[in-house]
Amino acid sequence: MNKLRLKFSKNGPIKFIGHLDVMRYFQKAIRRAEIDIKYSEGFSPHQIISFAQPLSVGATSDGEYMDITVNSMESAADVMNKLNAVMNEGIKITSVAELSDSDEKAMTAAYAAKYVVRFRDSLKPDFDWINEFKKYLSQEKLPAMKKTKSGEKEINMKEMIYDYSFDEKDDSATFLLAMSSSATLKVALLFGTFFESISKELSPLALDIHRIDIYKLVENESEKYIEPLICNDIESRYYLNA
Amino acid sequence: MNYNLALSDETLLSIEKPERYIGNEVNSVVKDKDKVDIRFAMCFPDVYEIGMSHLGIQILYGMFNSMENVWCERVYSPWLDCDKLLREKNIPLFALESQDPVKDFDFLGFTIQYEMCYTNILQVLDLSQIPLLTADRTWDDPIVIGGGPCTYNPEPIADFFDVFYIGEGETRYQEIFELYRAAKKEGISRPDFLRKLSHIPGMYVPSLYNVTYKEDGTIESMTPMFEDVPATIHKELCLNINDVFYPTKPVVPYIKVTQDRVVLEVMRGCIRGCRFCQAGQLYKPLREKDVEHLKQLAIESLKNTGYEEISLSSLSSSDYSQLPELIDFLIKNCSEQKVNISLPSLRIDAFSLDVMSKVQDVKKSSLTFAPEAGTQRMRDVINKGLTEEDILRGSHEAFLGGWNKVKLYFMLGLPTETDEDILGIGDIANKVAVEYFETMPKEKRNGRTIDIVASTSFFVPKPFTPFQWARMNTKEEFLDKANKTRKGIMSQLNQKHIKYNWHEADASMMEGVLARGDRKLCEVILKSYKKGCIYDAWGEYFHFDVWMDTFKECGIDPLFYTTRERKDDEIFPWDILDCGVSKSFLLREWKNALSGKPSSNCRKGCLGCGAAAYGVGVCQEGKN
Ligand code: SF4
Repeated sequence: MNKLRLKFSKNGPIKFIGHLDVMRYFQKAIRRAEIDIKYSEGFSPHQIISFAQPLSVGATSDGEYMDITVNSMESAADVMNKLNAVMNEGIKITSVAELSDSDEKAMTAAYAAKYVVRFRDSLKPDFDWINEFKKYLSQEKLPAMKKTKSGEKEINMKEMIYDYSFDEKDDSATFLLAMSSSATLKVALLFGTFFESISKELSPLALDIHRIDIYKLVENESEKYIEPLICNDIESRYYLNA
Repeated sequence: MNYNLALSDETLLSIEKPERYIGNEVNSVVKDKDKVDIRFAMCFPDVYEIGMSHLGIQILYGMFNSMENVWCERVYSPWLDCDKLLREKNIPLFALESQDPVKDFDFLGFTIQYEMCYTNILQVLDLSQIPLLTADRTWDDPIVIGGGPCTYNPEPIADFFDVFYIGEGETRYQEIFELYRAAKKEGISRPDFLRKLSHIPGMYVPSLYNVTYKEDGTIESMTPMFEDVPATIHKELCLNINDVFYPTKPVVPYIKVTQDRVVLEVMRGCIRGCRFCQAGQLYKPLREKDVEHLKQLAIESLKNTGYEEISLSSLSSSDYSQLPELIDFLIKNCSEQKVNISLPSLRIDAFSLDVMSKVQDVKKSSLTFAPEAGTQRMRDVINKGLTEEDILRGSHEAFLGGWNKVKLYFMLGLPTETDEDILGIGDIANKVAVEYFETMPKEKRNGRTIDIVASTSFFVPKPFTPFQWARMNTKEEFLDKANKTRKGIMSQLNQKHIKYNWHEADASMMEGVLARGDRKLCEVILKSYKKGCIYDAWGEYFHFDVWMDTFKECGIDPLFYTTRERKDDEIFPWDILDCGVSKSFLLREWKNALSGKPSSNCRKGCLGCGAAAYGVGVCQEGKN
């Protein structure tokens, strides 16, 4: 038995496929690829698959993750190749890693996510949003009201923004935001609160969001950093409170 | 992958289920449009989730796309939110694969599965910016072709179609496409093309016929306008059911649809001559597929789709002669793959109960019986060969096997029906409950009890059935009968274990009008659509009052089509078609019904319906 973590991208029209349907899509793809997936026990057995945090409908991604358990396999690379052979264009497995028993599930291991955010052409702001945003972000505290199951609660977004940059030419922003079971900052909340702070209205359809990757936290005696859930390149590490 | 969607991101994100409009599903076919000479848009005029569940479209889609120079794409009715946006923004309706406007296609085909979708056909034409009437179309518009069960009386929608394809779709499209290519090359006019098209067997071009009416409003004659146009159109039928194309690579939707599984058609046609059933007559004679062939289709389809469920499809799977072998094979193969098997339309007996206990969770599933009527007399009238004894014996065995949920289906408004027949419904339901309590003494019930759901639908007489002569009940009669049924059930000893459901009478009445309607209804349908009627099949969007107003406006009495008594020799709007069974056979069966005489089935004894002329299927069994 092996546990595998697969990283995949989701681009093009596939971005309109909701999270549950992406799960159903993979269940079928795994059958088509004849992966020897492990099933749960019971009268209606289901495949042992779990996904990292769902992406909102309409967003694209190069950093989606799912964990699967297989009874047998030739190699992790073979699983990836077999799956890629039956993938729809728009969804592609880009890397695979074997997990050990002690590894946390992608969902629980997630600590942060990186996004590139643009505005859809028809809904571009009529003001210099990048400069305004920089000013906004330079404040000491960034309070926002977050919707929770039991109502609303105030959070400080500042603590949840690990990194950011703007690209004037591309008219885009890149954010590294908290995304874990204890703290998650959504792009829409950040942008919405920023717009509110300067008395502008943000259409819920305006943001064109692309997820670059999902990160986990690595902590040991000497250092503390975050890196992608599957990390093939030390360059993609971020050192926190360095 | 097609990145150029017809709708903008903003639009897609502001409507429900954008997945309905983006195509790109697994196994959908994208071709280079410059390398094909025929582009076919295949439409199921209802919402995506319903349309995607239809086997017929998958068959034609796969078959057309297997032809090198043809590219077939899919179109469904946009849901109301999208419909509104398309109109507001003047975006022409598009096909899913290329996202190109439907109006630029060579053909637009509709599969017409139920009468209540007629306004959705107009919706699709309208949103595609194609003239609604065949008379107004030019070569700039696709050829609009209709197929499916409702084309066996296409008269109420005759004005909207260039041609109807009568019968099974697998046989004539090559010829149609050849003729179309030749017509385009030679530059002949569209009317000339349609006239030539009428020479291909199975093609009914309604604009080539004159209809005259008698003073009483019934039809006097339907005659071709030209000598070379056939006076009768014979249905098309696959003579070798094992040889025809079968879609083992059906399109697999992303979103959950009604039929979310591999569908394996085991046979076509039915041996049982239930007198109310149209499908039973239309697909005669019964033709079985070879079991080895089916095994292969099943394996391929599961492999190509990744579905976790497979379902057998036919009008009455229990009549498939190789059923035990097929099911054995499926159970063996599927349990390894963790694939579920679903077996609708099985008669409940020892064999089927044994099979069902292997493939489903007995505690959760329910038994289904369709006695259709409450007394043996009434069941003899409709020729439904299911007795009370069958039901009680089947229930008894099922209860022992652990089942405790039973569904019973009935019809109200059948010809010759009396109060006794109506009250019989409650009786049967009660007897099933009694059977449970007698079979299962208290200590064996484990705290469970019997759970019965009795449902009634209102009987709608259909063309090409022995009941095509029958008077349909009025709305008031229907509601009165539903009330009596309810009271009948309430008066039963075990009434608290019986739940009763009944259908809307308005929709049934409308269906009845359209089912046996004539060309005069085209105007009513068109006007009702213009007043906003669409999605009539969806109870909450069906505007009965608007329809009734429109009938008044057009000076047409809807009851003419439903409650009127029809004479034996009346010429029906659909008499111009030949579905393989003769009118004299149907009339014979009608008379048998009225005198309460049941008939045999094809395997017990041929009834001489006329379908033996095809020389295939059950009519030939035991003859070689
Ligand atoms: S000809 Fe006889 S056997 Fe053949 S379909 Fe008709 S009734 Fe059945």
